[in-house]
Amino acid sequence: MSENKVKLSRRNFLLAVGAGGAASAAAMVAKTVPQEQPVAIEGDKKSTKGYHASAHIRNYYRTAKV
Amino acid sequence: MARMKFICDAERCIECNGCVTACKQENEVPWGVNRRRVVTINDGVAGEKSISVACMHCSDAPCMAVCPVDCFYRTEEGVVLHDKDMCIGCGYCFYACPFGAPQFPQAGAFGMRGKMDKCTFCAGGPEKDNSKEEFAKYGSNRLAQGKLPACAEMCSTKALLGGDGDVISDIFRDRALKRGKGAEVWGWGTAYGKPDNPQQQAPKGAKS
Repeated sequence: MSENKVKLSRRNFLLAVGAGGAASAAAMVAKTVPQEQPVAIEGDKKSTKGYHASAHIRNYYRTAKV
Repeated sequence: MARMKFICDAERCIECNGCVTACKQENEVPWGVNRRRVVTINDGVAGEKSISVACMHCSDAPCMAVCPVDCFYRTEEGVVLHDKDMCIGCGYCFYACPFGAPQFPQAGAFGMRGKMDKCTFCAGGPEKDNSKEEFAKYGSNRLAQGKLPACAEMCSTKALLGGDGDVISDIFRDRALKRGKGAEVWGWGTAYGKPDNPQQQAPKGAKS
């Protein structure tokens, strides 16, 4: 009986190690995948809060049509 | 996404240099640097034509191609800007640009070059929009304020058009159709690419 318990605890230990390893591998993959993709980060000099057709700009276009 | 462009209507430009002054004032451009200037062809001769020239924010910008430190970048709106912190003032961009847009302040004796300065389409630089640092290096960021370049907005005859390329090209097309001439835009082919049909003839009697 006690021998069975020991065997079970060893299995549990191995299962825990395996699950932990898989979880850490998944975490590493999840961490690396977004870095590989181009992400629009704040402060990226190419992405600006620039042009938007404001009332001021629409008024300019209207006057340029004259 | 709108693509920012300049067009100068040679039939309307009266060589008042209002655009040059507006640019200087808006961006506090230092002495010796002219981001924009008015060029007159056949000055003093009947039929002379003037155009306002600055950086054309080329679709395939030669300045970007030759820069050894790769300090140029293009914004999502197609504005060609540069990072003065990276610029080494070598002057390659000046030689490459067909419009003479890159300018170099004479910072000392013997023609020593400083950081390159050029038209930013009033869109500032890589620093935070409308920050003090951005203004000190690049001038005003009017685009982020919902405005267009000061030169274009200040033009009294609306010869210099600036803004969304689709909109201003429609405005220019209407003008050319109404007057029946002046459809050519100087510098357009160089900056924005050659026309789809280069064999196309101008309408009879048209004059630009």
